[in-house]
Amino acid sequence: MSVSSHLLINEGAMGRNRAVRRLGQLGLWLNPVFAYFFLWAPILILVLFSFNESRSVASFTGFTLKWYNNILNNVMGAERAFSTEIMLNAFRNSLFVGTIATIIATVLGTMIALAMARGKFPGKKLIDGLLFLPVVIPEITQAISLAIFFKVAFDWIATISGERIFPGFHTIIMAHVTFNISFVAIVVRARLADMDPQLEEAANDLGANPWQTFWRVTFPLILPGVISGALLAFTLSLDDFVITFFTSGVGTSTLPVFVYGLLKLTVTPEVNAISTIMMVLSTLLIGISLVLQGRSASRV
Amino acid sequence: MTTHDVELIDIVKDFESGGKLVRAVDHVSVQIADGEFFALLGPSGCGKTTTLRLIAGFEQPTAGQVLIRGMAMEGIPAYHRPVNTVFQDYALFPHLTVEQNIMFGLQMEGVNKKEARKRAAESLDMVRLPDVGARKPHQLSGGQQQRVALARALVKKPAVLLLDEPLGALDLKLRVNMQYELKALQRDVGITFIYVTHDQEEAITMADRIAVMNEGKMLQIGSPREIYEHPGTHFVADFIGETNFIAGALLEQDADGFGRVRLADNSIIKAQLSPTLNSARGAVTVAIRPERIGISSILDPPAPSGPDIDPSEFTVLDALLVDSQYIGTDTRYTARIGDASELVVRVQNTSEQDISAIAVGQPVKISWQPSSATVLDH
Repeated sequence: MSVSSHLLINEGAMGRNRAVRRLGQLGLWLNPVFAYFFLWAPILILVLFSFNESRSVASFTGFTLKWYNNILNNVMGAERAFSTEIMLNAFRNSLFVGTIATIIATVLGTMIALAMARGKFPGKKLIDGLLFLPVVIPEITQAISLAIFFKVAFDWIATISGERIFPGFHTIIMAHVTFNISFVAIVVRARLADMDPQLEEAANDLGANPWQTFWRVTFPLILPGVISGALLAFTLSLDDFVITFFTSGVGTSTLPVFVYGLLKLTVTPEVNAISTIMMVLSTLLIGISLVLQGRSASRV
Repeated sequence: MTTHDVELIDIVKDFESGGKLVRAVDHVSVQIADGEFFALLGPSGCGKTTTLRLIAGFEQPTAGQVLIRGMAMEGIPAYHRPVNTVFQDYALFPHLTVEQNIMFGLQMEGVNKKEARKRAAESLDMVRLPDVGARKPHQLSGGQQQRVALARALVKKPAVLLLDEPLGALDLKLRVNMQYELKALQRDVGITFIYVTHDQEEAITMADRIAVMNEGKMLQIGSPREIYEHPGTHFVADFIGETNFIAGALLEQDADGFGRVRLADNSIIKAQLSPTLNSARGAVTVAIRPERIGISSILDPPAPSGPDIDPSEFTVLDALLVDSQYIGTDTRYTARIGDASELVVRVQNTSEQDISAIAVGQPVKISWQPSSATVLDH
């Protein structure tokens, strides 16, 4: 406190000021505590109950690993419980869809990023802007539009060829690819923007043709961005519910869709356990993705 | 020399910028000899880097021809041209080690790994950096990166080495050292160097010939001495070193390449005509270097002497000393002549001269040899 404020403010007002300031400081301190509490409490409860001995979520009766064990045992092939088998099947579906969609989206997204960063063509700015659209439009809008698109497309194919295509893995994968392309392209573009375009000229100058230049210089330099984009895409694919729900067919439920179905009946502790596993997996993948994005392009 | 390593024939390069065509290179023609150290000198945006990029093959000319060793380069991509570039910011591959950087170009030629490694080591020796092969570029200092960039280009043994302001990012002391080293290196390897710079001192120190560029045009091509002593245009005279300009009217041209110019105070002086002079008569500018002017007190008139000097031809003007500045090696005087224009005179401080006794505000005589002054278009 400065000397001048001592002179100007009387003792009573100073005491009041100090109390208000202290309250303010307490509030400021509590603010993040509450914020993080609301953010993390539901997740903590989920994690906690995945270790709950009781089948019910009403009360915590004791620590156990048996739900994780159940999942593991089912993977190993012992003691099959019907519901967990379906759940594991859904998990396998998720991994399958995620892997295929990620590979396709990463290749296409990287190609788009390269075209946007290096290419010169009319309407580039517009196409550039359109690339961000899937990131900003509501997921439900995208889900419905995809569902309608598949319906129209399959009707059309049916009238031409007489063959009817039904929704299944292919529709889920296509849907996941459409939204993942944007994310991959954005991450890879950021990496490309960070890269000195003179490096490609230098490679050219040293006798590398465009193909050699891409594989020996450009690709190694954007690889962290590509991996980062792929991890992001895989995580988004693994976690997606809305779009998958609208584009899946019979018997192709991914894990989030399966869990949603279970919620109509009851939450089993295995769901808690597998949700915890998914959360840890997602966090890990996003973490790696962020680390890769943060690495400077000039010091590989 | 009879062989030309690089020949540019009437090159034009237009860029589109904001819907408008901008002419970066404007009808440039030049022949660069085998083993020559050739500098492209000019202010930023003068087209020198574009000219270099046209030779490298990063840009295609709008019109005209680039010949390298007599071969037309039209349609030949950068990776098939017998030239290599040292980039301004070095453009070393950050994901490769120094050795891998240097081996890159050899491997593209199909040289096997063992041979490439051997040649990379030789190349690093040549630039006096023998122990850094295993390091990544970012672990080196700016000067070291510069040498690696040089080694990476030279290991390919190109017909022509293109250097784009390679010393621009270095600090002054290192830059001066590198100037001598580059020149020595060029003499050793005997490769034609085409060197882009905006630094006139750099160009004068290193180059065999200099082309001064402005607004896409090559204004003058010549040896550093020719460019400095006999600038062809007002721009060249102004860009290279310090120059005094005196306005005058050209009265007549002599057969020996001199002309008589009347100054504003009606005094008539003799000066050498620029070879590119267009005006046969009328308004001209006389350019003269500050160190070519002598200055003396009126009581002690100049006594020109020497084998080639005809005292009667010596130009002597009355002036008023308006400023005198001691700057160590030289003293810099400012003298006002008849038409009120001020001339800068530099006199080397060879001894504690009595000239320093001339007080500011005193009348003086300034003088020069006619061959030191050049008549330029106005």
